Amino acid sequence: MFKKSTLLTLVLMLVFSLMLAACGPQREEAQPTPAPAETGDATTDDATDADLPAKPESLTMWVNDEESQLQAYEEITAKYEAERGITVNIVPFSMLDQLDALSLDGPAGLGPDLFFHPHDRVGSIHLQGLAAELEVTEEMLAGYPEGAIQALSYEGFQYGIPAVIETYGLFYNTDLIPEAPQTMDELVEIAKGLTNAANDEYGFLMEATNFYFTYPFLAGPGGYVFGRDAEGGYNIEDIGLGNEGAVQGGQLIQSWFEEGLIPRGITGDVMNGLFRQGKVGAVVTGPWSIPDYVADLGDKLKVTTLPTIDGKNLNSFSGVKGWFVSEYSENKYWATDLALFITNATNGEHYFNVAGEIPARTDVTIEDELRNGILAQAEFAEPMPNVPEMSQVWTPMGDALQFISNGEDVAEVLQEAVDQIAEQIALTAGN
Amino acid sequence: MSSKNEQQSLESKKKVNSHNPTLATLLSFVPGLGQYYNRRYIKGSILFILFAAFIIAFYDFLNIGYWGLFTLGTVPRIDDSRVLLSQGIISLILTAFALTFYVANIIDARKDAKRIQEGWTIPSMKDAFRDAWDKGFPYLLVGPGLFLLVFVVIFPLLYMVFIAFTNYSLYNSPPRHLLSWVGFDNFKALITMPIWRKTFFTVLSWTVIWTAVATSLQIGLAMFLAIIVNDPRVRFKRLIRTVLILPWAVPAFVTIIIFSAIFNDNFGAINRDIIIPLFGGDGIPWLTDPFWTKVALISIQTWLGFPFVFALFTGVLQSISSDWYEAADIDGANRWQKFSNITFPHLMFATAPLLIMQYAGNFNNFTIIYLFNQGGPAVRGQNAGGTDILISWVYKLTFETSNFNMAAAISILLGLMVATFAFFQFRKTKSFKEEGNY
Repeated sequence: MFKKSTLLTLVLMLVFSLMLAACGPQREEAQPTPAPAETGDATTDDATDADLPAKPESLTMWVNDEESQLQAYEEITAKYEAERGITVNIVPFSMLDQLDALSLDGPAGLGPDLFFHPHDRVGSIHLQGLAAELEVTEEMLAGYPEGAIQALSYEGFQYGIPAVIETYGLFYNTDLIPEAPQTMDELVEIAKGLTNAANDEYGFLMEATNFYFTYPFLAGPGGYVFGRDAEGGYNIEDIGLGNEGAVQGGQLIQSWFEEGLIPRGITGDVMNGLFRQGKVGAVVTGPWSIPDYVADLGDKLKVTTLPTIDGKNLNSFSGVKGWFVSEYSENKYWATDLALFITNATNGEHYFNVAGEIPARTDVTIEDELRNGILAQAEFAEPMPNVPEMSQVWTPMGDALQFISNGEDVAEVLQEAVDQIAEQIALTAGN
Repeated sequence: MSSKNEQQSLESKKKVNSHNPTLATLLSFVPGLGQYYNRRYIKGSILFILFAAFIIAFYDFLNIGYWGLFTLGTVPRIDDSRVLLSQGIISLILTAFALTFYVANIIDARKDAKRIQEGWTIPSMKDAFRDAWDKGFPYLLVGPGLFLLVFVVIFPLLYMVFIAFTNYSLYNSPPRHLLSWVGFDNFKALITMPIWRKTFFTVLSWTVIWTAVATSLQIGLAMFLAIIVNDPRVRFKRLIRTVLILPWAVPAFVTIIIFSAIFNDNFGAINRDIIIPLFGGDGIPWLTDPFWTKVALISIQTWLGFPFVFALFTGVLQSISSDWYEAADIDGANRWQKFSNITFPHLMFATAPLLIMQYAGNFNNFTIIYLFNQGGPAVRGQNAGGTDILISWVYKLTFETSNFNMAAAISILLGLMVATFAFFQFRKTKSFKEEGNY
């Protein structure tokens, strides 16, 4: 046994050295990772094989966990493997849970190379810094609709490659409405003729208190969500939902309720139920309803564009779902390559055939009358604003539409909603 | 002779006294050394090895943990504030464990030293082990559970508490941005900023009313039914009980969704098949007028909540001895006297803690509020719905508008309210006061 005093000194020395050394992680003053060079035209224009980054063994992608979608991507990525020699791992992952998971998995190195998300959270993806700014050329983006590309970019950065596009249209039952109504006035006339609320029979139904579906009627006469600034970005200070046009649109919506064309308690479930029973002439909904409707109505179902107001086509909201390269991916080049590959014309068409979702391509022809109706409307569709401030718009506008349906003063209610949106935006930004 | 004897005894006394408890205490500031001084070498070695192992194994982790807890990271993207925060909390918990053992070690050394000074002989190893086993056995059993509990319960709670003091919101989200400590700013905003304050107090007052009315009604209804069904003159008791317990048997979220459909203003069965045929008119705006939505919610909660309390009361009622009532009959007591002096006190005595939990449960009854009408209908000039209670408002703040910091701040207040309420109620409950009497 050695002397107590020696032991004591040793131990004390140990303790003190530990205390002194305790001052955070040891690292060289780390440089913030340089942002990927702004679309280096020089290097990517004529990239020969020698310039390309080394091929990785495999790439991982998170695919929305729906069976048909998984199946489609398994078939498509098999082709990619054959062509490029890179294995693609598909992980089933619910689309709406992907962002939350990525924000933790990505930094920890567990995330995927590619993830799939709707465009309306691009702003939030940007704020959290989850997606890589893509190095893509115009040539690579040829074949995708301009609006879809815009929807997946934010503050001048291209964040995603469009895969699927979605909007809503007018679905009608040829038993009740043989000819597609062209104008809003026409539709209202038809609705007046068919509506018999006591028997639950209606000419025209829609979720008229849901801002997503009512937007075109507010926007048709001149309303808008956010104005545009000089560079084409959204100006969140300029909210156009209380202007003259929007009020006019609001009054139109209110008139449907006042004349009893649309009942006050309308919900999606009620609307779908009645339409499928054949009691409704026309409804406004999206392609996701097609399988159910066809099952009940069969050939009687037709889809067309929304009716015009004053000769102008209505701009429905569209949603674009796209593939994003994770900021934490180590193979950004090849991940981008994979994203472009799985959304090209051939594969887009294949995806449509298997999963039934409309590909965001201008060069794909679709042999499906119902989806073609939606596609026709998609020409007039505008993507929902993808700024994070959009999340403050839904609730106040939904509330405002509720008040409108209850017969309150449209101008007043819309102005209140606009004030509330502005206030909420200021509040969250201030925090 | 005598002087020699005296000297000897003095010497031996001196020998005993020379063992110094203060020195043992000071020495055990390095765990194990004090025990060495007490000549309990094995114990000392074990303590020292544990101490060294703790430092070596956790040094890096604690270092990063504390650094992260104070700074929440310095380089965006490389440091993730959320991860650093959780490491910091785990470090705190580990430190708390370590400190407990450290203090126990010092106390142990001091106690042993004092006993040695008083002439106590050190037990043999075998005895020492047996002694430790006998005394420590219950702790040994409780230990792993407690350890787990700390990480499963305390850790998430602390995380939420800490988030309330940061600026974690949509515009300041990791991994791109770093969080920073903002002190009590979020709480201040809740009380000083008009939009927050107005909504907070409106929602709070409805939450209180909701809790009090819905729970009291469900308990009242249950008591009424239980007493009626328990009357000896009632026949088919089993059938009646089964029927009354049925609402409890269906999962609440299914029931609520069905109710939200049958309360629909235009298409729901209640307006269409009951109110309009009976009373005419347009029916009641169940989902569009805040007042009627509140009425509907309270009725549904009463319906959903009473079967449990009913089952509880039925059980207790059967355990009240009939002697009491016979004695009361002899004394000439009437029905009301029997109820208020025998039945009611018995019911309350046995069930009060569970009834309090009913109140606490309804205070945070997110399911029914959210599933019925998403906290709607809208109220003009307010950023929560007409029937939002605090918890559903917190949900909206977190998942719809990403105000994580404010949501956490409100959650803390919520937790404190429920805790205070429960604490005082439990203390006033007889069943807890007299716990020791059994």
